[in-house]
Amino acid sequence: MTIQTATIDDRSVSFRQGETILQAARRSSIDIPTLCYHPDLSPEGGCRICLVETDRHGRLHAACHAPLQPGMEIRTHSARIDSLRREILSLYLSDYPADTFHPSKDGTELERLMHRLGVQSSELGGASDHVPADESHPYLRFYRSLCINCRRCLHACDEIQGQFVYGLAGRGSSTHLIFGPSQRFADSPCVSCGSCVDHCPTGAITDIDRIGARPPDTIVQSTCGYCGVGCRLEIEVSGSRVARIRGAPLAQVNHGHLCVKGRYAHSYHHSPDRLTAPLLRTKSGWREIAWPEAISWLSRRLLELRDRFGPQALGAFTSSRSTNEAAYLLQKLFRTRIGTNNVDCCARVCHSSTALALQTVTGTGAATASYADIPLARNIVLAGANATEAHPVVGALIKQAVLSGSSLIVVDPRRIELAEYAHVHLRPKPGTNVPLFNAIAKILIEKNLIDESYVQSRTEGFAGLKDFLSRLSLAQGSEVTGIDEEEISKAAFLLAKNGPALFISGLGLSELTQGTASVMALCNLGMLTGSIGKPGAGMLPLRGQNNVQGNADMGGMPNQVTGYLSLTDPKVRGRLEQLWGTAPPPEAGLTISEMLDSAVNGKIKALWMQGEDVAQSDPNQAHVVEALKALELLVVQEMFFSETARFAHLVLPAAGVFEQEGTFTNGERRIQLVRPAVPPPGGARADWEVIRDVANAMGAHWPQETSSDVMDEIARVAPNLFGGVSYTRLEPDGLQWPCPSASHPGTATVHADGFLRGKGRLVALDFVPSPEHSQDGYPFLLITGRALEHYNVGTMTRRTPNSTLLPADFLEIHAADAARLHIKDGQTVQLRSRWGSTQAPAHVTERVSPGTLFLTFHFPETHTNVLTSPYVDPQSKCPEYKVTAVAIAPVGDAAN
Amino acid sequence: MMAAQMSHARRGLEADLKNNSPLVVIQQFVRDRGLPDPSQFKQLSQDLALPEAQVRGAISFYSDLHQSSDATRICIGTSCVLAGAKDLFAAAGRRTACRGVYCVGFCDRSPAALRSDGRVVALNGHASVDPLLDLSSPEPTRPAISSIAKQTIVTRRIGRGDFSGLADARADGAYETLAKVRRMRPESVISAVEQAGERGRGGAAFPTGTKWRRCAEVVSDSKYIVANGDEGDPGSFIDRVLMEDDPHSILEGMAICGHAVGARKGIVYVRSEYPRAMERVKAAIEAATAAGLLEGFTPYIVPGMGSYVCGEETAMLNAIEGVRGEVRLRPPYPVVEGLFGKPTVVDNVETLVNVPWILEHGPAEYAALGTKASPGTKALCLNHGFAKPGVLEIEFGRSLRNVIERDAGGGAHGKRLEAVLIGGPMGSVALPSQWDAPICYQAMAQRNLNLGHGGLVAVLEGTNIRELFLHWLEFMAEESCGKCVPCRLGSRRALEVAQTLGAAQSLPQLERLFDVMAHGSLCAFGQQMPGPMSEMLKYFGDRALE
Repeated sequence: MTIQTATIDDRSVSFRQGETILQAARRSSIDIPTLCYHPDLSPEGGCRICLVETDRHGRLHAACHAPLQPGMEIRTHSARIDSLRREILSLYLSDYPADTFHPSKDGTELERLMHRLGVQSSELGGASDHVPADESHPYLRFYRSLCINCRRCLHACDEIQGQFVYGLAGRGSSTHLIFGPSQRFADSPCVSCGSCVDHCPTGAITDIDRIGARPPDTIVQSTCGYCGVGCRLEIEVSGSRVARIRGAPLAQVNHGHLCVKGRYAHSYHHSPDRLTAPLLRTKSGWREIAWPEAISWLSRRLLELRDRFGPQALGAFTSSRSTNEAAYLLQKLFRTRIGTNNVDCCARVCHSSTALALQTVTGTGAATASYADIPLARNIVLAGANATEAHPVVGALIKQAVLSGSSLIVVDPRRIELAEYAHVHLRPKPGTNVPLFNAIAKILIEKNLIDESYVQSRTEGFAGLKDFLSRLSLAQGSEVTGIDEEEISKAAFLLAKNGPALFISGLGLSELTQGTASVMALCNLGMLTGSIGKPGAGMLPLRGQNNVQGNADMGGMPNQVTGYLSLTDPKVRGRLEQLWGTAPPPEAGLTISEMLDSAVNGKIKALWMQGEDVAQSDPNQAHVVEALKALELLVVQEMFFSETARFAHLVLPAAGVFEQEGTFTNGERRIQLVRPAVPPPGGARADWEVIRDVANAMGAHWPQETSSDVMDEIARVAPNLFGGVSYTRLEPDGLQWPCPSASHPGTATVHADGFLRGKGRLVALDFVPSPEHSQDGYPFLLITGRALEHYNVGTMTRRTPNSTLLPADFLEIHAADAARLHIKDGQTVQLRSRWGSTQAPAHVTERVSPGTLFLTFHFPETHTNVLTSPYVDPQSKCPEYKVTAVAIAPVGDAAN
Repeated sequence: MMAAQMSHARRGLEADLKNNSPLVVIQQFVRDRGLPDPSQFKQLSQDLALPEAQVRGAISFYSDLHQSSDATRICIGTSCVLAGAKDLFAAAGRRTACRGVYCVGFCDRSPAALRSDGRVVALNGHASVDPLLDLSSPEPTRPAISSIAKQTIVTRRIGRGDFSGLADARADGAYETLAKVRRMRPESVISAVEQAGERGRGGAAFPTGTKWRRCAEVVSDSKYIVANGDEGDPGSFIDRVLMEDDPHSILEGMAICGHAVGARKGIVYVRSEYPRAMERVKAAIEAATAAGLLEGFTPYIVPGMGSYVCGEETAMLNAIEGVRGEVRLRPPYPVVEGLFGKPTVVDNVETLVNVPWILEHGPAEYAALGTKASPGTKALCLNHGFAKPGVLEIEFGRSLRNVIERDAGGGAHGKRLEAVLIGGPMGSVALPSQWDAPICYQAMAQRNLNLGHGGLVAVLEGTNIRELFLHWLEFMAEESCGKCVPCRLGSRRALEVAQTLGAAQSLPQLERLFDVMAHGSLCAFGQQMPGPMSEMLKYFGDRALE
């Protein structure tokens, strides 16, 4: 790229070709006033405030969009330009009643500009009256009287979120902002990401609860506690309350962008039903006790049960919601103080299949790529992930990538929002990913569409795979999946056309009885196309929970220790003995479902559950309740008195994400700092502190004073992955593991120089249908999943105004099925599986195919998981949430 | 940097112009079912691959999409206003559904109106309502067309009659040059146009060959040629006559351009105020395509929807894409990133009609005509205020005075001319003292005159200058696209000032507003419209303000 020079205000400025006058000037600290321009957004060029003069003829250019040319002589200020700018600003003001805007050094951006240019008001116009503000939306207010039609909101919505809510109506002086097809903001297609609020220069679009509010006392940078994207936040604190949350503008993960959950759904923190003191079950009911009593009671009880029933009768569920430090200490406590590997986490019930598959074929059970690869990708495959609802910030990135020219293949039984943007949308019958990916692989191989040199040099197992696939028939694949051969072929050719692809996957692949096989089959495609280990390509599973990645990394699994270390490797055992004082038993422990089963049959007597509401979230709810009831000891660390807490013997009040220090690891292996912004309510405490105190009460000598000390120990335990990780290095953007040393920058693309396991493994995968696939009397296949507005079982989001946005679970049913069964939109439907039954209101749609249903699982009233089966993936033990055979019938009359 | 020049939502999506030019889909919907309600927007949005807000925004932008299609369109273009169209509009509005439109292109017989049945009624000086309602009123005939140039180029066919039929056109040599050009290297075609020195006739006078070369240099999987048939400047009607009576020359010019720059698709954008031109161009495309004459080049027709600004090339591209007809930022220029983000040549209809002649006769013969700075000939349009209205083709270089006083015969009915409005609302007001200027882009620019598209409107003695001035201000306020602030709000404030304040107060305010508009606006509309209005204030002073 050639560097050229020009002159701005008599200063020589060098610039890259294509740079605008404004960009070059700002880079050189030359200030040009602007109004409709924002550096995040493409230039609008409408306000003309940034006009500058060029050359001797005094020609005017709008600096925001005019490219700087070699040899140009720019003047950014002169009597003439300054006067023009004032006149333009006066013109703006002429369209509003005289008292609307007030010049001020610390007002809105417009008011600061008025102050700077010395413009008070306009002599002209000003006849119109204020109109009432639109406060129809629970989070956003639109006040037309302050809108200057600068369109920054429109650009933000189009170019960041990709929701295209805003438009303009009328022309000439009657041109004005509109939202979608509706008159009321609440009826617009807005998804409440708040980007428009952050880009509005006048306060016309604001967070509804910040109107007239004082500036916050402090602003704390932290990491979002919802999904695995791991957005960085700026938490604005007033007093001891969270006043507002915004995206950290420069964060690598989210660049200031957030979703309705991360940005707005935070009031649960200050919910009056937070737990504030330890609760002990007594014969006369729950009794609040002091922490020292709780710690000593619990430590005694754990030791007692260990001694009475043996270490294998105890187990722990570490939490994907809590910090790495808490997960690490809890698994360490059970492995060293109790002496069992009965430690598992909720990754078991979501991405255990993904992690196992990736580990088997690549050598690491984690994403090989990063979110930063999405904008670089030219070829995206989105499989079993409804990103715009479940991982909205990543969903928006995918949408923007496609709008910028990337191809997109969506594999999803439902017509999710991103399917509207896809070049090919493959809609397999639920649970038939394996035959679909096999068919694509077969076409790739047989039509010579593979990256041969990659396959030869970097993978193994090709001959076996080829042979296996040669014996499969496409016709059969088409029949099993329900997708035309032609469509499959179209997808295969498109996949091969644009070079290495980025494979973004979700729980639609892993929460199946063929979960592990599904992900392995997808990895086959990743390797055949030469995608893994390259920038803008690779495998990028979207992790569900904020710290589900970290939880597994920390050793929240029964067969591996912190950093995926082997329980049997003598070197590892030696190191653990040295660092922990004792090595854990070499035999693997039990998984979540095995522990619950063992509780039912009396082998497991005690469980410690860190922030996990298994009574609501795990499949086959009746069985779970039976297990919980059978326990001698159930300890729950929770923010709220959850369904599971009802069965506990001791409930420990937990600090929330804004109330403690620690780290979360997002879905791209990025370890990011969580910092306390507000104090926890009452006696609620950070999980890790409680675990440390219990361990010490059990006779350990854990010296950690801070969570940072815990991380230092983690770095020593698993130096290959975390050796270079330390709190001093984690701001602002954290570190992506592997990060083996203090000077290592972290790893964005894993397997870049070869697979960690040596060669990537191509695997021939037979398709074994789910038992749910053919159940007489249960003609529908039910998929469960999430909606944008809520998070999992809704513990957090139901305690916020998100409940106004989506007040209940809903059942998606195809219009043809609904008509056949006389089910009307909004009507309550009874669902029945072989495992249980529930009811939900119907949403008649074409988003699902005929014969397929989709039900959200956010509300305890629905208890969606009473329907799901006890079947699990035989390898990963991941439950099958995504395929359940059900029968349905309408209940009563249609609602209005 | 993000290139969000085209509608971000449909970037990379090329509309199927044959069946679904997006605005036509919307128009059809509105005609069949009325303005969409919020739930219907969703379906339209999916059909068009455009966000709901953009569909709604487009409907509110284009007059034809939200105003009644059953109304009689009374021309309130400059020429008709001078012929009493304002009173006619008011009177007609009491008897039938009417809406005002800026120019139906019958300035030689003002006032005129376009009835909802597609027939034009030209009243030729008699502003009375009855003929508008009388279904038996005759369709106006073709304007008088004459040429005093050494070589007749633009009017070579229309001067002799109707050549819209393919057989007639071919008998007269249409498409022969195209056949010859097909055997030439594209580079040679571009060089010929460059050497001829043709400049765009739409008003901006950009060298045609340069534009073609820049487009040819861009590598792209597809390119477009757009023929700008949105002749909006009140006072001009040559493009209408060309599209009606010589559409094959336009298509031939487009196909030659397509060969030169490597484009296989073209669009003729015809304003809806010209229904007959639309029919004729459509028929011509069908006939020429059926005869295999355009082999390898596919033209489509896209109708305008009632917006003056869409004559501006980037606004026109937005209109074809189905979004609001606002101007785009430049760069990128259309030759690099135009229609659907693809390299696009936008040439005026008259410009394209010159092209086959240039390649038939060779660039030297063309360059020998006119002046060095403005080679060739120009079709001027003379409105009904002249003694001899109609289309007049001249060689560049002839003086305005000769044209006005001799060729046009001075003012109609022997009336004295106070001034001549040249080139529509973005052109100039030329006083008799300025008429010695030669008609040449460069020479006129040196005298602060702007030829625009070459329409001449007579300002006869006794003309109500205030009415004319307010008419222009209204025009600007109504047709401003609304994108940039100086034009969007400046035009409205200027109108309010002129309407409500006295001369002494309004003059300084108007001067300030015109200054901000002229220097601050984004496109030529806002930059140039204040020009003639300032001149009017300068030349006529209080007559414009009181």
